[in-house]
Amino acid sequence: MRFTPTELTDDELALQSDVRDFLAAELPPGSYMPGLGMSAASDRAFSKKMADRGWVGMSLPKEWGGHDRTAVDRFVVVEEMLRWGAPVAYHWVADRQTGNIINKFGSDEQKTRFLPKICAGELGFSIGMSEPDSGSDLASVTTRAERDQGGWIVNGTKIWTSNAHQNDWFICLLRTQPLESGGNKREGLSQFLIDIHDTPGLELGPIPFLNGEHHFNEVSFTDVFVPDENVVGVPGMGWNQNTTEMAYERGGPDRWLSVFSTVEQLLREAEGTAMGERTIELLGELAARWWGIRNLSLSVARLIDSGHAPSIESSLVKEMATRFELETIEKLVELVDTELSLESESLFEQLLSQCVLTGPGNTIRGGTIEILRSVASKGLQGLPV
Amino acid sequence: MTVDALITETADRLFGRLCTHDAVQAAEEGGGAPEIWEAFTETGFAWISLPEEAGGSGGTLEDALEVLRLAGYHAAPIPAAENGILGGWLLASAGLELPEGIVTVAPGTARDTLKVADDGTVTGSVEMVPWGRGAERLAVVCGGVVASIPVEAAVVETKMSLAGEPRDTLTFDGAPADVVDAPVGVDSRALRFRGALSRVALMGGAIEKMSQLTVSYTNEREQFGRPVARFQAVQQHLVWAAQDAALARMAAEAAGAAASRGEAGFEIAAAKLNTNQAATRATKACHQAHGAMGMTQEYPLHHYSRRLWSWRTEYGGTTEWAKWVGEAVAAQGADGLYPAITGGSAALI
Repeated sequence: MRFTPTELTDDELALQSDVRDFLAAELPPGSYMPGLGMSAASDRAFSKKMADRGWVGMSLPKEWGGHDRTAVDRFVVVEEMLRWGAPVAYHWVADRQTGNIINKFGSDEQKTRFLPKICAGELGFSIGMSEPDSGSDLASVTTRAERDQGGWIVNGTKIWTSNAHQNDWFICLLRTQPLESGGNKREGLSQFLIDIHDTPGLELGPIPFLNGEHHFNEVSFTDVFVPDENVVGVPGMGWNQNTTEMAYERGGPDRWLSVFSTVEQLLREAEGTAMGERTIELLGELAARWWGIRNLSLSVARLIDSGHAPSIESSLVKEMATRFELETIEKLVELVDTELSLESESLFEQLLSQCVLTGPGNTIRGGTIEILRSVASKGLQGLPV
Repeated sequence: MTVDALITETADRLFGRLCTHDAVQAAEEGGGAPEIWEAFTETGFAWISLPEEAGGSGGTLEDALEVLRLAGYHAAPIPAAENGILGGWLLASAGLELPEGIVTVAPGTARDTLKVADDGTVTGSVEMVPWGRGAERLAVVCGGVVASIPVEAAVVETKMSLAGEPRDTLTFDGAPADVVDAPVGVDSRALRFRGALSRVALMGGAIEKMSQLTVSYTNEREQFGRPVARFQAVQQHLVWAAQDAALARMAAEAAGAAASRGEAGFEIAAAKLNTNQAATRATKACHQAHGAMGMTQEYPLHHYSRRLWSWRTEYGGTTEWAKWVGEAVAAQGADGLYPAITGGSAALI
């Protein structure tokens, strides 16, 4: 394991500057409610504007509507969007991982059908992985797809499916070979592309978040027919296809910028006043840690561009970064030491209230920190992950 | 800029051969390790990054920091930082002669009373001087001058850091010194940042070694019929230590790269702050994973953990640097906060 230090090139800095100019023009501070990193709002028009700039599906091939850009280019765009709290939710999953999976494992027909729309910011994806009895032990999923004429019949239930009500399709991990007793449960899984809103037998319903907001969904399948052309890659190889993409999902800026817009707003509201010693020191600690973690995260992106699959490194970064986010929220609450409300007069206090309510999810979503530790520690000990 | 692999290999081999557990232990008991120092000087590493025309070995600041990282990795009980990028730098920048023997430096504590008189003599005391007792010259920067003072003129009160390394008090009474006006950019602030950078490099190496020791120990140590590394509660310590090793090394290398280019106040301050906190977390995790064995003199963990506890407070503890970074970013205002994090010193207004 080695994180090689890297810096942005002149071209990458020019891209950063373009993104900053775009955001300053589109979303001047005070004109919108900043989101908390990737939990930001879903806004199809905004996703379209980003796509018009070539900032969605950046690393996908030009042949399929992409831009042949690097993982670092995408890093530069994404970090600016997230720290701004821009409404990126609609294209988020498609841009971060589904496009990559289809590009890597999908058929040409699937690439033609999905990638240009993803790159145009016109297709939002959700992820169908967890089930009522399968969370961290993801390979134990039981929602099954059985062979039928020209396709598969799906029965079962997926839960915690974020933003399925706002997105168009979802990529779903299903069992296509029954698990024999004593068999390897990582075998016999397959990835399917399923239309969320236009599939007979598919039922979609909300699982209200602890504060009543609608992010999570339950998706149930009753004899749902999925045609063969919507299976991604090789049937039975879904686990491997899924895990190879984890490096993209795990070490990025979405894991350490959720609280940034809140801290920026703290500073904005303090401008022109004398800041207390504790506020100054906390700002210093946070800025320093963001600097440090960003260097590690950028190094992971550079490793991806040089052909590596830094899964241990990205797990280490995500585990550390999401814990840092939670510690930051705790320290901010201690710092302001006041009754918090989502209806506060202060935008900073509104954002901090939202951080408090949603923060625990940061160390759970996309793989709990306990699972990440298990992956990372196997890597440190030279054991198979 | 990258460091020539030959430097890494040579320093790693040299320290690995000399800094055995027994040798490091003996240095602590004897207050120095003359034979390790001699071998170190024979390679030329003692003056790395100091210009050849000043009597140094040439090379870049990043080369010197790589040697320091490996000194930290092997707990080398020698004043590598003091003689090179700190004391040696002060003398070489001021055009003062580098001595045959060791040059150390007064890091500057609140209790120091040393004054340089107009006639070029020095009077007063300086504390926490690394390896003061074994040095030939003491380099100081104060009151707009750089002075090179013969240590033989000092009354030396021997003291130790938490790691058992010499941190002596030197008292002078009208001692003769070589004194010159400090050149632009050479002052106590610059020394404090360079000192912090030296500690960050040493600490990055020590945390990495400690993390590796902990992985091997927990794989060998068996309890309940299996290696303790098989337990998730122990794995968490392995992961946390590895993260802090990565964070500290990255901070050291990024700050070193920035310092080689020019103004690097933000990067050095952020690096020392991150590394101090990383040292706190990693020593806790590694000690916990080692159990009672890590608390003994016979097992080497303490060579690294005690050095980290010592270096963590040298050239600025967590609060000092948090305040520095906090004031620097607060001055940027809300719109400048993220550009400061991505752009560092170059982006500060």
